[in-house]
Amino acid sequence: MIEVKNLTKKFGTHTAVDNISFVVNDGEIVGFLGPNGAGKTTTMNMMTGFISSTEGTVRINGFDILEDPVKAKKQLGYLPDVPPVYGDMTVEEYLRFVCDLKGVKKSDRDFMIKDVTSTTGIKDVYKRLIKNLSKGYRQRVGLAQALIGDPDVLILDEPTSGLDPKQIIEMRELIKKLGKKHTVILSSHILSEVSEVCDKILIINKGKLVAVGGTEELMHKADGNAQLVTVKGDAYRAVEKLREWSAVEDVMIESDNGDGTFDLKVYGKEGADIREIIFASMAEEYMPVLMLKPLSSGLEEVFMNIINGSMDNSEVEKEQLSIAFAQGGAENDGESGSEEAQE
Amino acid sequence: MLSIFKKEIRTYFTTVTGFGFLGFMVLITGYFFVSQNIAAANPSYNDSLAGSMIMFLILIPILTMRLFADETRQKTDQLLFSAPIKVTDIVAGKFLAAVALYLIGLAITLVFPVILSRYCEMDWGLTAVGLLGYFLMGACLISVGLFISVLTDNQIVAAAATFAVVFLLLMMDNIASSAPINTVSSLVFAGALIAVIAIVVYNSTKNIAAAGIFALLGFVITGVLYLFKPLIFDGFIIKVLGWFSALNRFENFYMGVVSISDLVYYITFSVAFLYLTTNVIEKRRWS
Repeated sequence: MIEVKNLTKKFGTHTAVDNISFVVNDGEIVGFLGPNGAGKTTTMNMMTGFISSTEGTVRINGFDILEDPVKAKKQLGYLPDVPPVYGDMTVEEYLRFVCDLKGVKKSDRDFMIKDVTSTTGIKDVYKRLIKNLSKGYRQRVGLAQALIGDPDVLILDEPTSGLDPKQIIEMRELIKKLGKKHTVILSSHILSEVSEVCDKILIINKGKLVAVGGTEELMHKADGNAQLVTVKGDAYRAVEKLREWSAVEDVMIESDNGDGTFDLKVYGKEGADIREIIFASMAEEYMPVLMLKPLSSGLEEVFMNIINGSMDNSEVEKEQLSIAFAQGGAENDGESGSEEAQE
Repeated sequence: MLSIFKKEIRTYFTTVTGFGFLGFMVLITGYFFVSQNIAAANPSYNDSLAGSMIMFLILIPILTMRLFADETRQKTDQLLFSAPIKVTDIVAGKFLAAVALYLIGLAITLVFPVILSRYCEMDWGLTAVGLLGYFLMGACLISVGLFISVLTDNQIVAAAATFAVVFLLLMMDNIASSAPINTVSSLVFAGALIAVIAIVVYNSTKNIAAAGIFALLGFVITGVLYLFKPLIFDGFIIKVLGWFSALNRFENFYMGVVSISDLVYYITFSVAFLYLTTNVIEKRRWS
């Protein structure tokens, strides 16, 4: 169990993390989501005691990270954004050193190392120097390091960054597996990853916690109640007809397809099911409904909505933003938050 | 602490550093042994030790430049500082590892006095005291090097800065002896010293009132002392610089004198720099 209360971090005049509070219960996989420089890494660094907070407290299983650091850190496994590995050690030497560092009992060491190497799939590079390993393997060695000592809580900072697609999928599977035994907090700016792996999402932007909720819940929240409809016939007539209904908030002509069909966007009032209304009113005018599908905003859109602080942005803008965002995610560029943390 | 110590020792010997260090140490000590003892037909091994002190300029940077700078560069400091271990243990582990390697080097060079003892009547007591002083001096400089290593993430910068500081510490006697001894320059020096300390106080507390009060108090006390006991300021610069002269203290050991004040001086010096190192790490976390 992790309790974060009013956590704040200031670097000089710049506030990197601004009054964040949340609770993570045992056995949850929580995703920390936010654009680059949102303060994810800084928050994680504070949670692991690598840097201190300006204000606020972090408690890991009841131990305060600043007041009782050794006990609190015993509950933690941390994989920072750059795996903290020594290039001139072999994987074996490194893991033995970490066992030593974390005070794993001598009698448990062989078993523990065997266990984490098989979990993370690094058995075949066990005797190699870490500097000769690929980025993916280094990431796994970093994860193996976090798992040593069998900590209750795993904190993973962008665990899939820099991995190839196959490795990303493997890493996600691994995290899901780990989530059965450990409480996991992972950060990411890739939405699909978070929505796939996590039970709960914390969205953070400019150092502020802007949304908390289950994955489903958040998707539902921003979904609104809109349908994309393709009908055949007179567009203006259809709009007029649909606007007569009180359950319909607004109707817009999206495009004229040129073959006598056109696309409409129909926005319903909250809670109202407008699909039947659409069908009935179009049937009345004998305008066949060729397609009817919910204008489902994916998590991308939810995210952009929340980040932009409004639900009213034009679709075009949203689309552009979400494309830009997706590109940002694909590039996996280093997070500026981590640089700030070094200052 | 032991985990860090073991890791550092292993790193010394899995890289070229450890063997390079030992080879260099034995080589330079050997050179001075030949020139000071063998060629000069001199039975005092302490002369070799005193002469070979110049090699600290190279040896200390080799030993300490990596210790923290490399952790910061590789970002492995995140592992160390999020592990269930105290910062003081990390600093102590690294310091002791460097000191241990230095001790190994010292143990190897023991072969020289043993060779010497075959050809003349050795004063082993004198040699032992000389070695003790030599060891303490090295440990002091290692603590300085460790402190510099924590200030940067670049090994080369750490090495160059350590070289410069070790040079200053070794040269302090020369600098002090050429310093002016009249009262005015002493007063100016005292004023500058108080100002520097006040700036440090301000820098670490960000409290302008505290720093101002400190400076004011310092100036007032200096002024009062000057009015009533102006003799204190005779050779004040030499006295202050003399405190920092690690070499000065070695002279007693060289002559076979073990005094408590010298032991306390060396130990305090090392502990002070280890404390500073810990403080810098903690402060970085807190700022």
